[in-house]
Amino acid sequence: MNQETDTKKVILDVKNLNTSFVSDKKEIKIVKDVSFQLKRGSCLAVVGESGCGKSVTMNSIMRFTGRNSRVKADKIQYNALENGKVTEYRLEGIKNPNGPEMRALRGPDMSMVFQDPMSSLNPVYKVGDQVAEGLLQHNKGMKKAEAKAKVLEMFKKLGIPDPENRMNNYPHEFSGGMKQRVVIAIAMICNPELIICDEPTTALDVTIQAQIMELLKELQVKEGKSIILITHNMGLVAEMADEVCVMYMGRVVEFGSAEDVFDHTTHPYTKALLRSVPVLGLADGQQLETIPGATPNPADIKGGCEFADRCSECMGRCREGKIPSFEVSPGHFVRCLKFDNYPEVK
Amino acid sequence: MSKNGSAVSIKEQNKSAASSLMKKNIRKFMNNKLALLGLIVIVIMTIACIAGAVAGVDYNTPNPTVLKQAPGNGHLFGTDTIGRDLLARVLYGGCYSIFIGVFCSVLSSVIGAILGAIAGYFGGKTDAFIIRISEIFQAFPQLVLVMMLVALMNKRGLGNLLFIFVITGWMTTFRMVRNEFMSLKSETYVKVCEAFGMSKNSIMFKQILPNVMSPIIVSTTTNVAFFILQEAALSFIGLGVADSTPTWGNILNAAKSISVVTDQWWIWLFPGLAISLFVLAINFFGDGLRDVLDPKQQ
Amino acid sequence: MLKFIIKKLLMMIPMLFLISIIVYFALNMTGIDPINFMVSPEVLSANKENVDALRESLGLNDPLIVQYFRWLGNCLHGDFGYSFDGSSIASIVAERLPYTFELAGYSLVLSAVIGIGIGIISAIRQNGIIDYIGRVLAVFGQAVPQFLVGIILIQIFAIRLGWFPSGNRISPDATSPIADAFFHLFLPVLTLTIGMVAVLMRYARNTMLDVLNSDYIKTARSKGIPEWKVYLKHGFRNAMKPVLVILVFRIPMLVGGSVVIETVFSYPGIGLTMTNAITSMDYPVVLITTLIIAAAMLICSFMVDVLNALLDPRVRLGE
Repeated sequence: MNQETDTKKVILDVKNLNTSFVSDKKEIKIVKDVSFQLKRGSCLAVVGESGCGKSVTMNSIMRFTGRNSRVKADKIQYNALENGKVTEYRLEGIKNPNGPEMRALRGPDMSMVFQDPMSSLNPVYKVGDQVAEGLLQHNKGMKKAEAKAKVLEMFKKLGIPDPENRMNNYPHEFSGGMKQRVVIAIAMICNPELIICDEPTTALDVTIQAQIMELLKELQVKEGKSIILITHNMGLVAEMADEVCVMYMGRVVEFGSAEDVFDHTTHPYTKALLRSVPVLGLADGQQLETIPGATPNPADIKGGCEFADRCSECMGRCREGKIPSFEVSPGHFVRCLKFDNYPEVK
Repeated sequence: MSKNGSAVSIKEQNKSAASSLMKKNIRKFMNNKLALLGLIVIVIMTIACIAGAVAGVDYNTPNPTVLKQAPGNGHLFGTDTIGRDLLARVLYGGCYSIFIGVFCSVLSSVIGAILGAIAGYFGGKTDAFIIRISEIFQAFPQLVLVMMLVALMNKRGLGNLLFIFVITGWMTTFRMVRNEFMSLKSETYVKVCEAFGMSKNSIMFKQILPNVMSPIIVSTTTNVAFFILQEAALSFIGLGVADSTPTWGNILNAAKSISVVTDQWWIWLFPGLAISLFVLAINFFGDGLRDVLDPKQQ
Repeated sequence: MLKFIIKKLLMMIPMLFLISIIVYFALNMTGIDPINFMVSPEVLSANKENVDALRESLGLNDPLIVQYFRWLGNCLHGDFGYSFDGSSIASIVAERLPYTFELAGYSLVLSAVIGIGIGIISAIRQNGIIDYIGRVLAVFGQAVPQFLVGIILIQIFAIRLGWFPSGNRISPDATSPIADAFFHLFLPVLTLTIGMVAVLMRYARNTMLDVLNSDYIKTARSKGIPEWKVYLKHGFRNAMKPVLVILVFRIPMLVGGSVVIETVFSYPGIGLTMTNAITSMDYPVVLITTLIIAAAMLICSFMVDVLNALLDPRVRLGE
């Protein structure tokens, strides 16, 4: 694979990530051989239907997958860049998911914005204190007043009106959009390099969605943050993403720059996905397409391509063996046998 | 004609869907080993007790020659202070105790469900009135309430005890059913039924109630254990069924005397074991049922 | 907040009033004539006029409603009347109520600490050894009748080992009142605690598990704070509210249990008094003890409401 190896340019490098959950003594694979790179200061969108393993992939990187999960990977490398010097962290080698090594990274290096702002804030503490908590944790000896000032600054930056008073309110006194700003404040307060946003606007109104996305875009462009955006909203992807990673049934089926994926769509699944997006100005009588069939149960998956049963271009050999990825153009990978005339990715 | 045909086929489809759900549930239940064990213990103990009673074991004739005899020698569980065979008493007592438990829990669930349906569906004044009554009942620990009613009845008998248990036991089911009805009655399908002009009775009991059936069944099951324990406690302090009726609690009543506790362990151990085992089995069975029927609840 | 508390307190008064009416009239309908307890049957048949005079002077010929309000007036003045054997109910209550408070209070505190503690630990270390032991104990604690637990404890600790007395509250030859209290209270408190712990533990475990699965725990972890802080500050604090509410909610179970346990240990509290009064049909005593228990229950449900308000900013600020 045409791998970028310069650790100054790549902030996150994931290779063959596998995550499975054990339930009723059976192991169910949710994420299979996922590999991708995130370039420093860019935005990667991870798209796919519900249950395709997008969130689990990101939770595996942050090690939030819980006790009944098994995370295995050849490489999950996070490269911190500070004053021109790169420090490499190999996350897959950290044994305790909530141990000191992982905890030191969470907050100042990588953080996460969760899907549902309604339930992501602890109902019994004031929002200001919740934001300050991470700050106080990672800056030993910091005074409460200093932390407060920083929180205030962050609230201002994120456009929360009347920040002095709002800091002392409880989460239930905030609207959904404001809560999500608080959640972003929590993620941002320690000035991390990498921010993973797990469907940050799914639970919000459309107008609020736009505001929040604008906020994230600003963080990326102005402050050079690297953002992973999990979503199933193709409109958002087109607007935000530099690179796109399409997942289906726990596998990356297509990966490339936003241009590659939108304008030179290769994988049948991505094509179907794009056709099913409602757009303004749909021609009269033109029907919105749906992808036939439903996402199969991860426990029932056999060999071959997972999408075969729903694919309009399915061939006999799609249903057996391992399907490799092919590089159709530099940096544009697709996991489909239709393109086996292109170089195979090892 | 064709309309009829399709209606029948939908009915048939529903039937087959229901039966496959049933099969799935049964399989799920069978996989829960503790619940299955519970069911087996319940069945065995119930059959043993009924068989004992039908066979007419002699539980009531004192035999002065074998007072307080330890287990063995013709009396598997030993004999009590006046020489009655304990095995016979435990078997016979089981019939009464199980009957009390099942009867009271079923009847109090029925009353609770009907009152809950009425209060939840009609709301307003009716609701406030029934809620008030249930609050008065709940101002007492149930055992104290039962004791009060025992005092009022001023006569100890099986009938009175059943009546008292039912009258004091309906509140939990009532509240559960009422709350479910409150939320279900605003569902669209209920509005549709109303728009079709269905009678209130059939909406309440044919349309809404089936949705609440699972938790009712689960709580009825676990209430059997509750009432058996309640009866035992009441009989133990001497306020339960008349002494001549050998319920498990009444047999244990002998253990109020400290000399029995010290020297005749079999008199309290065997009936105590019988109660504990049966209640344990019901709890396991109830938990298994809950997993199958009502997975939302823990 | 103060308004809320006062409103709830005021609502208890009509409730208690209503209960007292119901109990009073119901007990009077049993048709038990207090005269029969005061005067022996021979005297009763011999001196009809004197008995009637006595009845008149006691006010027993007045309409029931008049009798009720006379009784209520007396009660409000602290005069609870006399039991059928002639002792002042007020003094019986004054002597025995504290004993019951001791018994129920210690059990409540002990079971809260043990039950909630084990429940929380089992949730954090799910499927660990404490979780396993706790679950087994909970299952058995709920299946074995409480009085049987008491009997077994007496058999082991009082009779076989002789470490503790098998009953009563005060020994006549006690040297240190504290040690005496400890020895007499230990077994009954333990019995009551076992029953409560079984219930609380299960509830605390499930609540804490729910809390630990919630999104804000993930948020807390994403801040990089240590696990103990995640559990205590974010987990426990949120699990506390429903657990405390259920704790207070379960006090009736404790009171009901203590009625039985007082009988097992012949412990001279209100429960034993009530049981004996019912068996001997001493209705003035039944009346008062019932009302005391009802009042205690109303206070408990009042406390549930206040706790709810105190622990949850949504309720506290929402009014």
